[in-house]
Amino acid sequence: MDKLEIQRTIFDAIEMVNNLREEDGQIPVSEQTDLYGNNGNLDSMGLVSFLIDIEESLQDRDIQISLSDERAMSQTKSPFRNVQTLTDYIATLVNETK
Amino acid sequence: MAVKNILITGSSRGLGKELAEHFLRNDYQVIGCSRSASEIEHSNYLHYQIDVSSPDQVSNLFFDLRKKIKHLDAVINNAGVASMNAFALTPVKTFQKIFDVNVQGTFLFCQKALGLLKKSPHPRIINMTTVAVPLQLEGESIYAASKSAVETLTRIIAKEFGYFGITCNAIGPSPIETSLIKGVPKEKIDQIVGRQAIQKMATPADVINLVDFYLSPESSMISGQVIYLGGIS
Repeated sequence: MDKLEIQRTIFDAIEMVNNLREEDGQIPVSEQTDLYGNNGNLDSMGLVSFLIDIEESLQDRDIQISLSDERAMSQTKSPFRNVQTLTDYIATLVNETK
Repeated sequence: MAVKNILITGSSRGLGKELAEHFLRNDYQVIGCSRSASEIEHSNYLHYQIDVSSPDQVSNLFFDLRKKIKHLDAVINNAGVASMNAFALTPVKTFQKIFDVNVQGTFLFCQKALGLLKKSPHPRIINMTTVAVPLQLEGESIYAASKSAVETLTRIIAKEFGYFGITCNAIGPSPIETSLIKGVPKEKIDQIVGRQAIQKMATPADVINLVDFYLSPESSMISGQVIYLGGIS
């Protein structure tokens, strides 16, 4: 699974969140989108739900990874800061499963 | 009406087996697990032979389960180990085993079940604790400490998972005739029962009654609670 496919999976998860949100609360579907932390579009439980959706999308492709991370709630080092950092983090975990 | 799916850990014997049989009688799809094989043979029963304290084995269980069911209505973290010993004579190996199964096992199942639970209309987590916590029983320091941890997990998970509509509660049975207490001397059991408001041994039916109460759709406002049997508080 390459980074473009991972990014597509993240975008799909954002769209799933957007389906449940009002028009003025939509999360931009973009590589630059901030997810969690400063200017993030998700609160802590929103992030949990979002990550579960991504884990399940990956499981549907027979990829079994856990996105829990001890830096999850860190504002500066968290891999969940934005779409770019999350893409890189998932790519690393997927590579480790090979 | 959609089939209700319930997962029960430690379902091969004792209270876990009684719970599994109760829900099978009530047309649930029951997913059980334990270190040993199960004697339950029922078309609605699915058994995983795993160690509940193993992160990999629990992950694999849920990875496989997601291919079979689309949602989970309840998880009952029933698997547990106990050991009676004076605190000063308790080997560290015993400490680790008790915390691995009772605390880490509960932690893993609550965490890994979240994805399937949040798709249920009335998702529930029920954890098992013990009256050894409020009674602060001598000789059960590590077991009681592990269950204190389970009680705290229960209260905090209730707050965090409330976001998903999941309730998380605990049950603390007073002494019941199960394999968990078969090594405890009769005098000790009598002493514990003597400290209860209702001075008699509990039965699995008493626990099942409380489980049914927590599972009821009408119990959606009850979360983060620990109820002990026998009138212990």
